[in-house]
Amino acid sequence: MPVAMATAESDSRLIERVGRGDRDAFEQLYRRFARPVLAMAVRQLGDHGRAEDAAQETFAAVWRSARSYRSERGSASAWLYAVARHAIIDRARQRREQAAEIPDEASADAGPDQRAEESWLTWRVHAALEQLPERERAVIELAYWSGLSQAEIASYLDVPLGTVKTRTRTGLARLSGLLDEVRE
Amino acid sequence: MSDQPDFRELVGEELTPEEELELARVDAMLRAAGPPPAEIPGSLTRAVERIGAPRIWTRRRVVLAVALAAALAAVFFGIGRWTGNDSTHYRAAVQMQPTGRSPNASALIKLGEREPSGNWKLELQVDGLPPLSGDHYYVLWLAKDGKYAATCGSFKVQGHTVVDMNASYRLSDYDAWVISEARANAPWLLTARI
Repeated sequence: MPVAMATAESDSRLIERVGRGDRDAFEQLYRRFARPVLAMAVRQLGDHGRAEDAAQETFAAVWRSARSYRSERGSASAWLYAVARHAIIDRARQRREQAAEIPDEASADAGPDQRAEESWLTWRVHAALEQLPERERAVIELAYWSGLSQAEIASYLDVPLGTVKTRTRTGLARLSGLLDEVRE
Repeated sequence: MSDQPDFRELVGEELTPEEELELARVDAMLRAAGPPPAEIPGSLTRAVERIGAPRIWTRRRVVLAVALAAALAAVFFGIGRWTGNDSTHYRAAVQMQPTGRSPNASALIKLGEREPSGNWKLELQVDGLPPLSGDHYYVLWLAKDGKYAATCGSFKVQGHTVVDMNASYRLSDYDAWVISEARANAPWLLTARI
C-alpha cells in the first residue's frame, strides 16, 4: 500500500482539481510533496541545483498532465512518484549527454534497478516523515543527518535530553507504522 | 568517527525484542534513504508559484532584464570604486560553538550593517578546521528549525582564515548559523544561535 494511502483520497482529489486548472489545489499538492520530490532528486542526482531543476520540472509536468490522472489506475502518490522519477531521469540523461569523455573503466555507480529501488525507498521514507508531528520529525532529522549527538540536539533545541530521547523513540515508532502501510 | 547516530543511543535499552526489531527496520530505512532536502529552496517555491500563472517573463524579456541589471551593476560598481568607499563597519560579532565533531575549531562572524540593497556584509574568522583537499570545501549557512535554509557562501581554510561573505536574507527568518562541509549528510561542525 503506498505511503500516502491515509490521505490518498485527498491527494487524488487534489490532482483532479489541478487537472481542472485549480491553482490552490496545485499549491497544496506542492506543499505536501515538495520535500519527498526534492529528496529523491538530490539522492539520485547528487547535486542540489540540478535536483531543484528536476523538482521544478516535476511540478510543471504535474500541472500539465494532471488531467490524464485516473485514480482507478493507481494511487496519487504512485502517480506523482512516476512523474518525479521521469523528470529526474531526464535531468540525469542531459548530464550524461553533456559529458564529452568516455570513462576507461566501468562506472561504480548503482545500476538502473538499484537506483529505482533507492529512489522508491527515499520517496517512501521522506513522504512518511512529512506525516510526523514537527517536533518528532525535527529530532529524527537532526539525529540522522546533522551529525549532532542527542545531548547536542537537546542543547540546540533547548529542551531536556530526556525529551529528545522520548521524541526520537516515539517518532521512530510512529514512522514504523507509517512505513508499514507502504509494504507491498 | 561515523556521521551516523548510534542506534542504541537513539532508542535506549528498554525495548522488547519485537520493538527493537521494528525500530531497527526503520533505522535501516532512514540510513538508506539519505538526508531530506531540509528547507525547500525559495527559488523552487517561486518557480512553482509561477507555473500556471500567465507567462510574463518571456525569454526575450529575461535577456533584456539581465542585460539591464548587468549594466546597472557595472555603473554602481564603478562609482563605488571611484569614490573608494569600501570600508565596512561591523555592528555585532557572533561567536560560534564547536560541536563534538570539531572540538578544537572556533569561528567568529562579524556582522556589518545591512546595506540599502538588502545585503548583510559578513566577515567570517575560522580557526582549527582541517584543510580540505581537492574540490572539497566548507560552507557557512543559515538554519531554521534545525534544517538547512540558506547559504552564505563557501570557503576553504589554511590555519587562521578570514573570509568576506554576504547574506541577502532577513536574518530574523532563521534561528542559527551553521558551518559544515559542503556535501550531503555532512555533520555540523560549528553552530551559533541567531
